[in-house]
Parts: sequence; structure tokens; C-alpha cells
Amino acid sequence: MSYAVEVENLRVRIGGFEVLRDLTFKVPENTIFTVMGPSGSGKSTLLRVINRLIDLIPEAEVSGRVVVLGRDVFKADPYRLRTRIGMVFQTPNPFPHLSIYENVALGPKLNGLVKSKKELDNLVRWALEKAMLWEEVKDKLDVPPLGLSGGQQQRLCIARALAMRPELLLLDEPTANVDPINARKIEDVLISFRREGGVTIMMVTHSPPQASRVSDYIAFIYMGQLVEVGPADQVFVNPRNKLTERFLRGEVS
Amino acid sequence: MRFPSREDRMFFYMLLPFAGVVFIVFVLLFEVLIQNSVPVLLREGLKFLTSSAWRPSEVSPDQEFYGILSPLVGTLYSSLIALILALPTSIALAIFINDYTPPQLRDHVTGLVDLMAGLPTVLYGLWGAFVLAPILKTYIMTPLSLYLGFVPVFGCRPITGFTVFTAGTVLSVMILPFMTSMIRESLASIPRTYREAVYSLGATRYEASRMLVSMTKPAVMAATLLGFGRAAGETIAVSMTIGNSFGLPLCMFEPSYTISSLIANQFANAGFYHYMTSALYAAGLFLLATGLLLNSAGVYMLVKWRRTYRR
Repeated sequence: MSYAVEVENLRVRIGGFEVLRDLTFKVPENTIFTVMGPSGSGKSTLLRVINRLIDLIPEAEVSGRVVVLGRDVFKADPYRLRTRIGMVFQTPNPFPHLSIYENVALGPKLNGLVKSKKELDNLVRWALEKAMLWEEVKDKLDVPPLGLSGGQQQRLCIARALAMRPELLLLDEPTANVDPINARKIEDVLISFRREGGVTIMMVTHSPPQASRVSDYIAFIYMGQLVEVGPADQVFVNPRNKLTERFLRGEVS
Repeated sequence: MRFPSREDRMFFYMLLPFAGVVFIVFVLLFEVLIQNSVPVLLREGLKFLTSSAWRPSEVSPDQEFYGILSPLVGTLYSSLIALILALPTSIALAIFINDYTPPQLRDHVTGLVDLMAGLPTVLYGLWGAFVLAPILKTYIMTPLSLYLGFVPVFGCRPITGFTVFTAGTVLSVMILPFMTSMIRESLASIPRTYREAVYSLGATRYEASRMLVSMTKPAVMAATLLGFGRAAGETIAVSMTIGNSFGLPLCMFEPSYTISSLIANQFANAGFYHYMTSALYAAGLFLLATGLLLNSAGVYMLVKWRRTYRR
């Protein structure tokens, strides 16, 4: 089996505080891998190491080895690396000064992925369809996204990430600020996208029910430490660690 | 308004006059400006704005004539030069301070910029008149007129260093800290998640900065308008560098006048003439109107900008 992400002895310190302590795990290709854990356990930081957004925090000290899509992330060109990795954030953050179309087109434009306007149009439509948003916005592509609901904005952000045709998609609690109906829609988007293949999805969530609905693999992180990792069925049905069991029952937060 | 206790009510009525002072001063100022402007405006009508003649006469008030076209144009011209120089510089400086200055240094640099904004303006005037003017004349204005003289705005040789261009340059240095502060704050106020979003799409630093600046466009426009307002209202440093001569120069290497420098230079003599005091008041009225217009437009843009990112 080949892996989209391999993490070895990863440690992250931010301002003297150990955010991640010695993580080691692998994310198999073409799966949905969910990182589960209570708030403040370092999940978001983990994602930011993988696409090196951690560079934006100058005081962060990172050690260990992280191989993403076959490249050592700390040796790779971060810009080129990021073009292969999409990311969706906790708060919907479409660019308010761009239109819906321009939001989705931004990644392909920045990276010269398309040659013609027609190609771009098709790509934008494809991404919006994949994010199950096309029907809702096809008549207002030129409008800024501020009129959309929070859930629609988040699906727009998913489309924005998909438009780069990423091989790895990172989602940082994508449904935390979204209503339950939209949350389910987003889960459906992920499941159907994974079914098509060619992409590995790594999602962070603090909700065990959500993790159980979408995941192939689960990692449970607590206070910056990896408590348990394995196939979703096994972690949910038969957790090896007491702490995982207690988290799944809602006793740890 | 209802107050639960007598003290609260007393306290409120005690504060009221202090709060009222600002409003009252503004109304009085406006009132005095309008009242004193009336004589010259009634006598000359629109010609006050469309003529460049400035003719005090000791012989008879009938021979007096005052038109402020020249200072009006000079005000706009020098402010425009100031903006053209200050806008790109302040955007670049704001990006540099935010993104490239080490965090430990950032506060000091910001403090320095704010300090520059607060320096007594006469110091800028001194520096502009004695240091900048000769340098600009020798190394910028003369070569530009020699080699790019076919461009109308560069089409004359500077006779002294005191020109519209020199005044505009001094003004640009003066409004630079203020504009930089505003643009820097607006850049810093963009929630981090947008910065992350641009970078997550594979943007380079340059592309990300461009994106963030274009996000702050309303704030940049507000800074431009408010900077314009400041430049147009600035008095002493301009009087010291613009040459103070009536004329309608197309070429920026000629001396000119601004409304503020006109008032500052002429008010001492105004008492000798019948209409000049009124003319100066009227000039001030138009200065105030311009300033109000620019400032309210700027503040409006700023309020609009702040709403965009309030969630």
C-alpha cells in the first residue's frame, strides 16, 4: 500500500508550548483519514505542518520527518507543494471582494493550470458541481459570496480547493461553523469525491459521529499525543485505548 | 433619557457642556466663515473661483479684485503630486512592516512611523526649503526638464528650488506616515484565515500580498482620500516650499500658491484693504468645503471597509 502522508516523530513547539509530541502515523492513499480529538489537541497544527502553512507562524519550531505525496515537506518548495494540496478551513473564508466565480478560479489562475477562458469555465463548473453548489449559484457567479449562507460559503471554499485538482485535501473542522443540513451535505461531498478516487482526504473533527460517518481511518489525538490510529471500524467498535473509548462516549473533551 | 439616581442625572448634565464644545466650535467656525465670505462673494460671484487675479488696491475698494483659481489649482496640483508619490510608497512600506519586519522590531518601526506623523510640520518646511529644494532642483527637476521636457508637466526649467513639485514632495513625506499607518492597520486587521487561504492555494508572497492589498482596497482608498485632505490643508511646510506666486502652471517645476499658504501669507496685510479679509475668509471656506468633502468620503469608505470583515 502506498501512502499520501507519512509522519515520523513529528514535534511542534509554539512559543515554548508543546503542541504536538512525537507523532508517527501514515495516511494510506485514496482514503478518508480523520484526525479526531478534543479542541486544543493540536489537530489544526498537524494539518498546517502538512501543507507548511505553519511557516506563517514564525515562532513555531518543528522537528521530525513529514513526507507528503512522496516529498519531504521541509525540503520541498512550499509553493509547489501547496498547489498539490487543497485546504478548507474552520470558518468559511471565501474572499469577500471577489465574485463566486473568481473565488473558485483563483487557485487555477495563480498556478497557471488552465490555458483558456473556456477551460477555466469548465473547471469552475466542475469544482462547483463536485462541491454540490452549482445548482444554487449558477445564476449568480458574478456576485460576491457574502450573500450566501454559511454552509454555502463553506461549500464554495471546498470548490475553491477542488479547483486546483489537489491530490490531497485537508479539511480543518469544515462543519464546525455550519448548520446540520449543510454539514451532512459537506460529508456527502467528501464521500462522493473519495469514491471517484485520485484524492486522499484528511479531515480534522472533534465530532465522533461525523468521523464515523465518513472515515476509512481514524487517528485520535489527545493533548498533542497520538493515542490511537487504525481503520475506522476497529477504532469505533473495538478501541484499544481506554482514552479513545471515553472520548467516543463523550466523556473527554 | 432616564437615570436611576440623582447623581447619574447630575453627572450627565455636567458632561453635556463639554461634549457640546466640539459641536459649538464647529458651528461658530462655519458661521464666521460664511458670514465673512459674503461681501467678496456677492461682489465677484463665480469670478472669485474662476479668476487668478489677486489685486489689492490702496486707491479705492472699487479697484480691488480677488480670484483664487491659482491657489485652488496649486492646492490640488501639489496634493496630487503628493499622493502619486505617497500612495505606492505607503503601500510598499505597510507590506514591508507587516510581513517582513521581525516581530520584535515591528513595534519600534510602527512607533517611528507614528512619530513622523506627529512631528511639528514646520520642521518639514525647514527641511524641505533648505535641504530638499536644492537637491530636487539639481538632481531631479533640472534633468527631468532637460530629458523629458516634451511631457507638458515637465516642460520648464526650474528657476529656483521652490516649486509645486518640491511642495508636493514635502507633502508626500508628510502624509506618508499617516497613510502607511492606515494601510498597515487595515492589512493587519484582515483575519488570519484569509492569509492562510491565499497561501493554501499556492500563492507566493508577492501574490499573497497583492491579494491582501486588493482586499483592503476600500481602506486604501480611504487612506488616499484622507491623505489628500491632509495635504490640501497643510499650511506652513507648503508656504515654505511652493514659492508663493500667482500663476496657473501646467509645468510642475514652476512656483505656485495654495489656499492655505495664501491665507498664511496674506492675512497680516489684509486689514489694509477693504475686501481682502473677506476674500481670505472665502478662500478658507472653500478649503474647508474641500477638506470636509474629502474627509467624509474617506471616513465613509473606512466605515464600509470595517463592516466587510465584522462577523
